[in-house]
Amino acid sequence: MLNHALLVLGVMVVVFAVASRLKVSVELSMLLAAIAGGLAHGSGFSARHVVDGAFTYFDVTLIFLSATFFMNIVKESGGVDYIVGGIVKRFHANRFLCLLFLTFILLIPGALTGSGSVTVLVVGALAAKVLSEMGIPKEKVTAIIFLCAAMSAAAPPVNLWAMMAAAGSNMPYVGFIGPLGALSVLGALFSMFWLGWKGSPIDAAKVAASIKVDARMRGWRVGLPFAVLIALIALSRIFPHDFPILGLPLCFMLAAATAAAVSATKVPLLRIARDTVDSLLPLVGMMIVVGILVQAMSLSGVRGLISLSVVTLPLAVIIGALFVILPLSEGLVQYASAPLLGVPLILLFNMKGIDPVVALSAMAVMWPLGDILPPTLVVGRAAVMVTGYDGSYYKGFVKATLVPALFILALSTLVVIFSGQLTFLKALG
Amino acid sequence: MNQAVMLLYYATTAFFAAMMAWNFARAKDAQKALLYLVVLMPFVMRLLRLK
Amino acid sequence: MKKSEQGKTLIAAKAAGLVAWAAVMVFAGVAFRQHRAWKEPVVLGPGVTAVRSLHEWFAPLKGTENDCNVYVLDSGLPGSTILVLGGTHPEEPATNLAAELLVENAKPTSGKLLVAIHTNRSASTVTRPGEAYPQFYSIKTAWGQKKYRMGDRSANPLDSWPDPETYVHYPSGQMLAYMDIRNINRTWPGRPNGLLCERTSYGFMQMIRKEKVDLVIDYHEAELEYPVIGTIVAHQKAQEVAAMVSMDLSASQFRIGMEVSPRTLHGLTHREIGDFSDATALLFESPEPFLDRVRGATNEALLLTGVDEFVQRAGKAGLLYWPIDEKGWPIEVRVGRHIATTSKVFEVWNLLYPEKPIAVDGLPGYGDLAAKGVGAYFADPASVAKDRVAFE
Ligand SMILES: [Zn+2]
Repeated sequence: MLNHALLVLGVMVVVFAVASRLKVSVELSMLLAAIAGGLAHGSGFSARHVVDGAFTYFDVTLIFLSATFFMNIVKESGGVDYIVGGIVKRFHANRFLCLLFLTFILLIPGALTGSGSVTVLVVGALAAKVLSEMGIPKEKVTAIIFLCAAMSAAAPPVNLWAMMAAAGSNMPYVGFIGPLGALSVLGALFSMFWLGWKGSPIDAAKVAASIKVDARMRGWRVGLPFAVLIALIALSRIFPHDFPILGLPLCFMLAAATAAAVSATKVPLLRIARDTVDSLLPLVGMMIVVGILVQAMSLSGVRGLISLSVVTLPLAVIIGALFVILPLSEGLVQYASAPLLGVPLILLFNMKGIDPVVALSAMAVMWPLGDILPPTLVVGRAAVMVTGYDGSYYKGFVKATLVPALFILALSTLVVIFSGQLTFLKALG
Repeated sequence: MNQAVMLLYYATTAFFAAMMAWNFARAKDAQKALLYLVVLMPFVMRLLRLK
Repeated sequence: MKKSEQGKTLIAAKAAGLVAWAAVMVFAGVAFRQHRAWKEPVVLGPGVTAVRSLHEWFAPLKGTENDCNVYVLDSGLPGSTILVLGGTHPEEPATNLAAELLVENAKPTSGKLLVAIHTNRSASTVTRPGEAYPQFYSIKTAWGQKKYRMGDRSANPLDSWPDPETYVHYPSGQMLAYMDIRNINRTWPGRPNGLLCERTSYGFMQMIRKEKVDLVIDYHEAELEYPVIGTIVAHQKAQEVAAMVSMDLSASQFRIGMEVSPRTLHGLTHREIGDFSDATALLFESPEPFLDRVRGATNEALLLTGVDEFVQRAGKAGLLYWPIDEKGWPIEVRVGRHIATTSKVFEVWNLLYPEKPIAVDGLPGYGDLAAKGVGAYFADPASVAKDRVAFE
């Protein structure tokens, strides 16, 4: 059994490596690895398993698509320009408040969608423009965009790593808002202020002139869609048995409809939907393919092998190495890392008396930092793209993220170690 | 009410699936087109009420 | 390459992709369809006096996937009424097999048995994504293989969609994971206008009240990595029964623990049925290595034998809550545990409540079942009159 699982894992690794080498995309390489592994396993593998596996994170992809569709409508209707323009106009004299509000603007899209890429795509370019005007060098601006995007992906309510790992271990996705919120907000604020505090005063007039805000734009036009979203979610929680069960995707679709309805300009819904699907393809594709990979690994015993190897390591070694293992595995296989490493770790933590919710939250804040690492570089590449940074990827941009990234990793590791004392954070639900 | 919500979910799924199919047809990159097909699997399966 | 040539390759790639895609979809679609449509025959044993449907107690369930059969085994003599639930979690096959074994073999001589083989039938029509379960498993009998649907823990999304953002349990208000609204052992006591599993629980509660059920027994299996295993979980009203059964069985036949249902954990049979009706409730857990995350290859053999090298290794590393060796946990032992525990509960029940007896003949002992296998107790559907066969 051990040898068989090792063989299948070997086939998967080789196929993945060779396919990547031949310039096949990460998602398709992973799909090929899953299919090759399934075939190497032999008996019982069929097309049924491929489709079954594709359903593993289907619910999550719907949340993902609808949330991003909503954010893109808000952006297209001028909502983001309006908010950022407003911040500059009102707080340009106060660097502290400016940075503070920009941090929260950067946190929202990822918090709702669970994706750092969405943050970069929706507000990244605009935030980068303001930050540059504040006299912050380009590599630091890019680092801020990346780090805040990573923290936004970690931020509640939607954290895909925590959701995927919790689902895999039959653990309710409940109690994560507090620990995820505390860590991600602290991490984002530290990144923003560490990298952005030093600079020059902002030329408000120049920035304001460069941000085009439609004259008919009003605060309520941006506020109402968010209010609808929050109201729908809040009502479902406050009156759960009198209010119809809508689910997150429908809440986002209703908020999206509101955003389109109250927009000052006419928003081209079909084009936005198509662009949303287009820009999300790598991420949605990744979720679907990861599901297929997990199915092939479960079938052949590779998942058991990985789980067993993880849980039989000494606990101190595991906790001490999390800050390296999690980002590296994220860079390598992205979300696949959550069910493969997260699930056995939760089981182990449970057994060893470590609070699994708090510990998983801390891990789920470390994972997204790996999105800057090779071979995938997903969010890192997106950040470079929207800021127009043209210096060295590693020597400039990655180096600039180091101190805040280490701060976040250290803080999260401490949270894992002291998870028992931090259980009060779970009270928020 | 639950029935109505369920119908809206089929509509949402169909909406995104249609966008994917459209993008698949227009895709200039073969790998991208193939990935669209992979992603379409669960969407179409659900719409056909097979899974 | 010239532009037109490039265009041609692209079209060729797309066409080839579409063909492959269609093939995969057709193959998988047929497999899913066959699984959902598969009917398991059940031979009505000598004790079965009627086969009813859950909708008879709660009409809105009529026509839904969860309008399951309720087998009535009535002795015609006064005594207790006991409801047995199999298939609460259809990924735990010893539960529906044990319930079916009751239907095919039990003959009450006082009191009445009610049996549901697939309590959450919808969940038995779907396999769990990402877990690579086989779609079917077969039990060997003297007359051939008997084929069963392998299911999921939660109801089929085709029957209950979407899940809420957070599932808020009725009436406690406890917050649970969104997919647990499709897990019928989180939806008790249910509500009439909720989602499918909430309505199903509600239907069962109506039945429990109308039929004046005294005791509900809910069969389960668990992974060895899970702390609640090899045990009886009892509502406090049934605490004494469970304690005596656990002591007696552990001394005479096999080790089985006992714990009292936590008062703050909501939606489970052993909490809500006891709280919201005159009945009391017991839940049995048997070990199912097939569910362990550290398991090796996932297949029918593991499901039926419970032999797994990786799970054994985890046991050696002290990571499990229940022992396992190279003999594994075969299905006949797991079903045997459920049947023997049920028999022992009847025995103890009669000691404690002699005024409301339950006496059942025809149930095999633990040793016999473990030696002969489950299939030895299933009759050939072809050998009996058509009206003595029901379908699940
Ligand atoms: Zn169970």
